[in-house]
Amino acid sequence: MIAWATAAPAIGAAFVASTVEVVEAFTIVLAVASVRGWRPALSGAAAALGVLALVVAGLGPLLNLVPLHALQLVIGVLLLLFGLGWLRKAVLRAAGLMALHDEAAIYTRESARIGGEVRSAAAANGVAAMASFQAVLLEGLEVVFIVLAVGAGRGLMIPASLGALAAFFAVMTFGLLVRKPLAKVPENTLKFGVGVMLSAFGVFWTSEGLGAPWPGDDWALFGLAAAFLIVALALVAAVRPRPAVVTP
Amino acid sequence: MNVLKEVLEELWSMFVGDRRLTLLTLVIVAIAAAVSLLAKAAVVAAVLVLVGAVAVLADAVFAAARKARG
Repeated sequence: MIAWATAAPAIGAAFVASTVEVVEAFTIVLAVASVRGWRPALSGAAAALGVLALVVAGLGPLLNLVPLHALQLVIGVLLLLFGLGWLRKAVLRAAGLMALHDEAAIYTRESARIGGEVRSAAAANGVAAMASFQAVLLEGLEVVFIVLAVGAGRGLMIPASLGALAAFFAVMTFGLLVRKPLAKVPENTLKFGVGVMLSAFGVFWTSEGLGAPWPGDDWALFGLAAAFLIVALALVAAVRPRPAVVTP
Repeated sequence: MNVLKEVLEELWSMFVGDRRLTLLTLVIVAIAAAVSLLAKAAVVAAVLVLVGAVAVLADAVFAAARKARG
């Protein structure tokens, strides 16, 4: 039986991170569907999900062959690079120094791109299916990495996979109901949270990989996440441009 | 081939989107690993990783902010 304190951060990190990626993939699949219909959109997405399933099936057993400390160290460093990079962008966006991710603009651009490439109906469907395939594959790879990263270090693949699956079904259900780009998802807030959690996981696994267990064991993850959250919020305040003072 | 190229570019940008951040993070981990192995001070190594990661994040944010302001 996996302890709640151990499983909760893995489920939460996988769920929130996957939500962000699935929203991005869904925007392009929806754009494809609006231009060429659901058939090429869903066939491209299904093919990409098949490739991703093969990647997971291939990588999963390989991870069991790597010694645990080496696995924790490698995954910890990769998580640190990924998490700190994501947190850096989220801080800059929150401070107004980087443009926010605009799903509505991406939807419009992708619709125009796919529509503009139309030659014959068959060719157009091929282009549409490829666009859908590419979007789901690229965003899905990030989901696969996150699930492997937060799950493989301590036998948490099932909770992490459940978090990702829950995100997939939540976004799909909501997206298919509204049939519009999910522009109202507070994406930068989610990315901020994901950056905090991935960075905390990165520090935790890297240290464990170096043979340094944290006091409180898995509960230390919450403390590390709190530390990154406080630092990131302080950085937002520090770099946010101040309004110019107008002197009379 | 185009899809494969995009997949590789995506993987590269996931971990090396900001070269300075990547390099500094690897330096911090290398120092922590040396402390853990040579000085047998695993707890110090763990603290180094945490403090180093926070410092790398702050450096990356301030560098990007300076660049954004021109």
